[in-house]
Amino acid sequence: MEKQYDAIVIGAGNAGLACAAAMAINGLTVLVLEKNSVPGGSATSFRRGRFEFEAALHELASVGTKEDPGSVMRLFSSFGIDIDWQYEKNAFRVITDSYDATMPAGIEDFCREMERQVPGSFDSTLAAFKIAAKVGAGIEYLKGGEIDPKVLFNEHADFMRAVSHSVDECLDALGMPKKAQDIFKTYWPYLGAPTDKLDFAHYMIMVDSYIRKRPAMPHLRSHELSLALERVILNNGGEIFYNCPAKGILTKDGKAYGVVADGKEIYSRTVVANCFPDTAFEKLLPPDAVPERALKIAGARKLSSLFFSVYLGLNKSAEELGITDYSVFLFDSSDSGEQYERSASLDTTCMVVSNCLNCVIPDSSPEGTSTLFITTMLRDKAWGEVRPEDYKRQKNSFAKKLIEIYEKKMGVSVMPYIEEIVIATPATFARYLGTPCGTPYGYELSDWDTMLARIMNAKNEQVLEDLYFVGAHGERGDGYSTTYSNGNSVGARIVKGVKKNG
Amino acid sequence: MAEHDLNSLDPMAFTRLVPTREAHFAKAEPKNATEYPPNRLARILHPDCQHLTVAAIEDNTDSAKTYTLKGRDGSVAYFDAGQYLSLSLKIGDVVTTRPYSIASSPRESLEGVYKITVKRVEGGLASNYILDNWTVGSEVTASAPLGFFTYEPLRDADTVIAVAGGSGITPFLSLARAIDEGAEELSLTILYGSRRESDILHRAELDEIAGRCSKVKVVYVLSEEEKEGFERGFIDAELIRKYAPDTVFSVFLCGPAGMYSFVDGELEALSLERKYIRHEVHGESYDPEGLRGYPGACAETVKITVKQGNTERTVTGSNKDTILRILEKASIAAPSHCRSGECGFCRSRLVSGRVFIPEESDRRRLADEPYGYIHPCCTYPLTDLEIEVALS
Repeated sequence: MEKQYDAIVIGAGNAGLACAAAMAINGLTVLVLEKNSVPGGSATSFRRGRFEFEAALHELASVGTKEDPGSVMRLFSSFGIDIDWQYEKNAFRVITDSYDATMPAGIEDFCREMERQVPGSFDSTLAAFKIAAKVGAGIEYLKGGEIDPKVLFNEHADFMRAVSHSVDECLDALGMPKKAQDIFKTYWPYLGAPTDKLDFAHYMIMVDSYIRKRPAMPHLRSHELSLALERVILNNGGEIFYNCPAKGILTKDGKAYGVVADGKEIYSRTVVANCFPDTAFEKLLPPDAVPERALKIAGARKLSSLFFSVYLGLNKSAEELGITDYSVFLFDSSDSGEQYERSASLDTTCMVVSNCLNCVIPDSSPEGTSTLFITTMLRDKAWGEVRPEDYKRQKNSFAKKLIEIYEKKMGVSVMPYIEEIVIATPATFARYLGTPCGTPYGYELSDWDTMLARIMNAKNEQVLEDLYFVGAHGERGDGYSTTYSNGNSVGARIVKGVKKNG
Repeated sequence: MAEHDLNSLDPMAFTRLVPTREAHFAKAEPKNATEYPPNRLARILHPDCQHLTVAAIEDNTDSAKTYTLKGRDGSVAYFDAGQYLSLSLKIGDVVTTRPYSIASSPRESLEGVYKITVKRVEGGLASNYILDNWTVGSEVTASAPLGFFTYEPLRDADTVIAVAGGSGITPFLSLARAIDEGAEELSLTILYGSRRESDILHRAELDEIAGRCSKVKVVYVLSEEEKEGFERGFIDAELIRKYAPDTVFSVFLCGPAGMYSFVDGELEALSLERKYIRHEVHGESYDPEGLRGYPGACAETVKITVKQGNTERTVTGSNKDTILRILEKASIAAPSHCRSGECGFCRSRLVSGRVFIPEESDRRRLADEPYGYIHPCCTYPLTDLEIEVALS
């Protein structure tokens, strides 16, 4: 009889790794199957020439410091992991057709700079952060289990408002001046949802986690984070097979009991899928094992943003090039709704998120060089059919457009200094991540598909018994801190179940 | 004085979150299996492997043949000129791979065809096996097209001076064809070094393209013969200068290691920026003692304990072989593609023991070193080892 694992995890992305680590460290026997030769999913890096590029991470929220740790550091510490974090000087710089603002981290400093940019905006900006604290308290109350509608209404009314109204509605209600709202909404591409549909609570959790604690980057790229989690799994008796895609999930009587991989059946009490439900329905589960309701849930949802990224290894230092800021958001329009609309097509989009890692980690590339990471987030249909023979030309022409937007808006020249270039299109992400359309983000967050609605209804949305889905397509959406925490909490739930049933 | 609060919003909207969500599910159509355009393109460009058949064999010289490989289902993956195929080979008890640059044009791949040229290497395991065993109808398993030795319009100069040695001509033949067919936009001057005129590979095709396409020029350079119409000697700074444009240009090199060290020395005289000099990687060396920084092994024979999935085996091998080659000689199918340290497909975990990694081949990610990961294709054992290898 083949060995039976407590859990098999399909996919070593952030959530898969965190889930496996949480289970292994609590004594469960765990096997992780990863189709690529490296762990991490999006949390990886790659080499070209003398450069090592971060594949998808822009900046990590919720890290904090040893004295004041955020959720990511707390989670990593609970695993015994110590990461060499490097912190950003500022939260972000944003340049649009009508303003150029560099916003510092720290809530006081952030509000003060907002006041300087937009006189009369201090109080409403501070009020937004106060709502963030109330959102946190509301979530804690719901986590407690026993919910008294009266307590909820009397003590958590702002939480109830923030989870059920959009960013736009709430910022209007707070009386934030229009320009301050525009600056405040700069981070929207990180969640990929338009601010008239995205709920304020979710947005504030993210903004608060970036501003309250300075954004951070791991010294050795996110590959370091993925390897640190991998080591926790291995050191606690877990196993990871690379180049080993799962070919199927074994089911019987509405329960999952193992996985087909490496040409055989491998049995387990629980299966955790760090892949999209859509992918599991189409490729891993027998069609008759997928309930109609699960297919309708998948059918109701939309895919979130796709990435088009250009990685440049430059043969001049950031200083020589005149690049001083790590994260810069470049928008043609200051209106986030318009930015979102324009990202529906390669022809109309003009949004660029750029990162120069040397501004946070000076030695992240050899002396006298620098790297630049330029990304645009696209809507799911922006990348249509491209014939293989047209692909190289198309990706180079769009990359050129993005680099030119960057050069023009930043007033710096990078094109002549390109020593290495890699262009990752949605097809590249599809190749490595295997997600629908290659999205690294999961399902689009919208006014009916919010984080809280997902969490509150999660029990009614489980596809099969003993089968869990973790990742950016989960309740909390995309992001490193959210996928780690999503994986960790599912891992904890499975541990509880296994310990209870013995 | 404005109040900065949310009191104007209805908190009871909260109670509608779940019912609204359920209503969306209720009216939704069940999701059908869908292959989205990015996923389709990824599948077409990067199949897990390709099943090919030898459709034709052409003798080039006494020691080289060109094989036409056809997709068994009629199609093969498109590629960019300069890319290679990693062939999976079983030679006696040895399971191995070899990278071969694609010599045919990207357009021919749309008709389901690749061509590769194999030149006999004295004592070479794979080249001799292929030349002596492949016949029309032989079945071949290959990777998707791989590699980064391609022309990048946003990085490279408009003119490329290609320096080719021996069978290193093949990626440039593909590039010349791609230019001729309009798939690539650059001017290409190939300086092709051979010992004697009779060693030149693909001369007829090269001349034909150069005769037809104003953007492609070919200069033959013979090191052991003096002949009218040929350059004589080695490809040195003077020769490159003679054929280079007045404007900025890139130099691409593909050929044997000896050619690289000579030409790299010559290029110093031209003071080109580093970004304008690019090398195709050139495979493993079986002489670690000749590599810079080699500290010497503890024993000539080493024992390697290999964990792969649920299986564990202990094998022995020579300290002159890369770890990958030791595994392959012991019939262990380990993943590999470029065999030069670059692609990282063979990435494995070194659990214990000491190894030597030549600095020039060390293309690992930064965090791999502290976490004990190595690329076995360019790593030599110094002591007995314990390693964990990915499934193949």
